[in-house]
Amino acid sequence: MQKHQSSGSGSSVLSPTVPIDIGETSQRQRIIEAMIDSCAEKTYAATTITDIVSHARISRTTFYKRFGDKRACFAATVSFCLDELQEVARDARSPADSPPEAVRRATAAILARMAAKPAMAQLLTGDAVSVDPGVALRYRKILIPALEGLWESAGAHKNGYIDPGLAFSRAQLLVFNQTAAGRSDDLLALLPDIVYLAVAPFGGHEEALAQARLAQSNGRPADER
Amino acid sequence: MSAPEDLRKWRLPRGRHGLPRELVTRSQRERLLAAVVRVTAARGYEATTVADILEEAGVGRESFYELFADKRDCMLAAHAILVEDLEAKVRAAYAQAGPWQERVTSALAAALEWFASDPAAARFTVVELAAVGPVSRARFQDAFARFVALIDEGMEDNGAAPELAQATSLGVGAALARIYEEVVLDRAAELPSLLPDLTYEALVPFLGEEAASAERNRAAAIGR
Repeated sequence: MQKHQSSGSGSSVLSPTVPIDIGETSQRQRIIEAMIDSCAEKTYAATTITDIVSHARISRTTFYKRFGDKRACFAATVSFCLDELQEVARDARSPADSPPEAVRRATAAILARMAAKPAMAQLLTGDAVSVDPGVALRYRKILIPALEGLWESAGAHKNGYIDPGLAFSRAQLLVFNQTAAGRSDDLLALLPDIVYLAVAPFGGHEEALAQARLAQSNGRPADER
Repeated sequence: MSAPEDLRKWRLPRGRHGLPRELVTRSQRERLLAAVVRVTAARGYEATTVADILEEAGVGRESFYELFADKRDCMLAAHAILVEDLEAKVRAAYAQAGPWQERVTSALAAALEWFASDPAAARFTVVELAAVGPVSRARFQDAFARFVALIDEGMEDNGAAPELAQATSLGVGAALARIYEEVVLDRAAELPSLLPDLTYEALVPFLGEEAASAERNRAAAIGR
């Protein structure tokens, strides 16, 4: 780190005016946001390091210091987005919710966040999967135990043949299709259907329809921040 | 480069559900289209060069550039032919007489067979497309919309009326999501065995659990 050239603030590493890690965090943040934007604009395949460094207003050297290569940067970006959505989902639930209610609220909050950040939605549902198909398994590892736990704590078990992993991929395809069709501003139109997908594997078809109706009648969720 | 006998096999795929006739006939354009499918599926789009395609097709560089602007152009042309062929197969299966849910099962079966019959074409069609850049999104969206429209057109007027606005997209999405996953994991050949569960997944939003289960069981019985 000794050769670090601080950008902008005029401080040096020996006498920083802000703690170094804050500078690093914001640089890292800027790079991640640049990756999200560039992928939305031209897909991961067409994104170059030059695109990222110019979006992020950092030097190439800084980029390589933070991330070994484009792929590593992308992986970090995906993790960043997933963390954000997990946090959104956690915050959306209240302890009094029944499992289907909790799932509906979490789904609504996630979709609202994606609608507010369409570039992120596009990255998670499109590029993330095509760059590393394993990411779909990662999504599931986060999601399925959480759903299972929710239902088990309420004494229910998995219902019928609906595969929760597939349900998740279907939701992802719906979102990707919506963004690919240039309708990312209207992601919330998908809410009832995605609530259905999220509830059906554990709650069954009828319960899923009931929650989809509720999602529909609630209209645009209020928990959008 | 793969073994020559693989290349021969690739160049002349056979079988009921093989590549469209256009891809196996021998004109230069068709050889190039078949070659781009094979090479891209084996190496990935990024790593594929025009030289690879020429070698695989046994066609000269000049002829290539008379027919295609570049590698991407060639890939997209092959992709369009494959999607059209898949669509034709699914449409034919869906157009058969019989109850709607059975026609859906036939359409699903046709799609699964198509992907299983040629894993290289399967990988090329659903996995490698994303690597061509922004145009892949429009291509995906267009193909998705065509399959949704195909299923919607075949609905009976007094048939299942799902509550969900996107029920057809959910059905098409179920098939595509499963196909994508199996193809990525190199398990395309096993796709037909997933027909019963996929039938259920696609039909539940339209018919409810009981009727979807009945059709699932019927599909399982056909498969045995």
